[in-house]
Amino acid sequence: MIRKGLICISILAAFAISTRTSAQGFLKWEADSVPLFRGFAVGFDLAGAAQQMLGDYGQLEGSLRLNLHNQYFPIVELGIGKANHEMDQVTGITYRTKAPYFRIGADVNLMKKKHTGNRIFAGLRYGFTSYKIDMDRQPFPDPVWLWDVSFGVKDEPCSQHWAELLLGIDAKVAGPLHLGWSVRYRRRLAHNDGVTEKTWYVPGYGIQGSTVLGYTFNMLIDI
Amino acid sequence: MKGCNNKVSVRVCQLLVLSFVVCQLLFNLGACSSINCPVQTTVLTKYEIRNAAGLDTLNDTLYVWTQRMDENDTLLNRVTGSSSFTLPISYSHPEDTLVFLLADTAGLWTLDTLWLKKDDIPHFESVDCAAHFFHRITDVRCTHRGIDSVVIANPKVDYDQERTHLYIYFGGIRH
Repeated sequence: MIRKGLICISILAAFAISTRTSAQGFLKWEADSVPLFRGFAVGFDLAGAAQQMLGDYGQLEGSLRLNLHNQYFPIVELGIGKANHEMDQVTGITYRTKAPYFRIGADVNLMKKKHTGNRIFAGLRYGFTSYKIDMDRQPFPDPVWLWDVSFGVKDEPCSQHWAELLLGIDAKVAGPLHLGWSVRYRRRLAHNDGVTEKTWYVPGYGIQGSTVLGYTFNMLIDI
Repeated sequence: MKGCNNKVSVRVCQLLVLSFVVCQLLFNLGACSSINCPVQTTVLTKYEIRNAAGLDTLNDTLYVWTQRMDENDTLLNRVTGSSSFTLPISYSHPEDTLVFLLADTAGLWTLDTLWLKKDDIPHFESVDCAAHFFHRITDVRCTHRGIDSVVIANPKVDYDQERTHLYIYFGGIRH
């Protein structure tokens, strides 16, 4: 997992350096007559929805993005994460959670020509979720005393703060419709995992761990 | 020109959808291959034998029993010459009852009962890892024939095999 994170950071750094040289500074404001406020875009993450449909966990997530000069994109992402892993075939453990989460941050357009409608961007996010987990297992024998034991927690309160570093693309497909994806390196900042000391799926973050890689596939509409 | 733009848009769309499918496959395969369960998952209580000066060695022979479902009640058999020993702890009993027999070389023996009260905490690693319990020892008491006293050193019982949980002082009244 650490190796994945390092690869992601290396790619981002290499990309930032190459862009700096080619675009003569991607943070530099492009001098032109385009106004500062360029409107909003609302988006929906198709990857999280597909994950939820195809697997045991996923999230339904929408976003509201502000466009400043086609260069800076402050963004709020809101979603509901859900996991329903019923009776694992090997361990017999059932894990359920469903909770809202949010992320707030901004993207920067790294393209030299910023007004084409197609963008390559890097961004940062801060995310938070407060969630409750239900976890149980069918009674199983104590390995020494041999009588049956129940295992589980119900409505155990947990929470997590995290940060994300992302790299993505966004292409204008037709009219106000954009499609794009982002790869995200997520790092846990603080967490409360309740009495069990660990959880599994964390809404908006993914499978628990101090760092994880995630991705989104966004459909955005300019408004 | 407009037709050309439409073609480009369709290509871009196809490329994005393809990259989405590739991402799904890569991440889902990655998720399947990364199960990180701990290798060491034994939860035991460690008793350290002590006297007033500090660490002591057991000169007599120690046996420990408890009541189990299969009536195979031995937990510890003929331990001697050791400064510490480990015993299992029940997953979900509020209180474990352990019987200690201490026999010396002259054939004298003492029998004590030790009651270990604890909170049982379900410990979870992942849905892919087996269920276990950690414990917090809340109280320990015993009879005082061969055992002088038992003191809680560290109440938290988990995968850590090095941590000493209880100090046991032998040297009580013999029958």
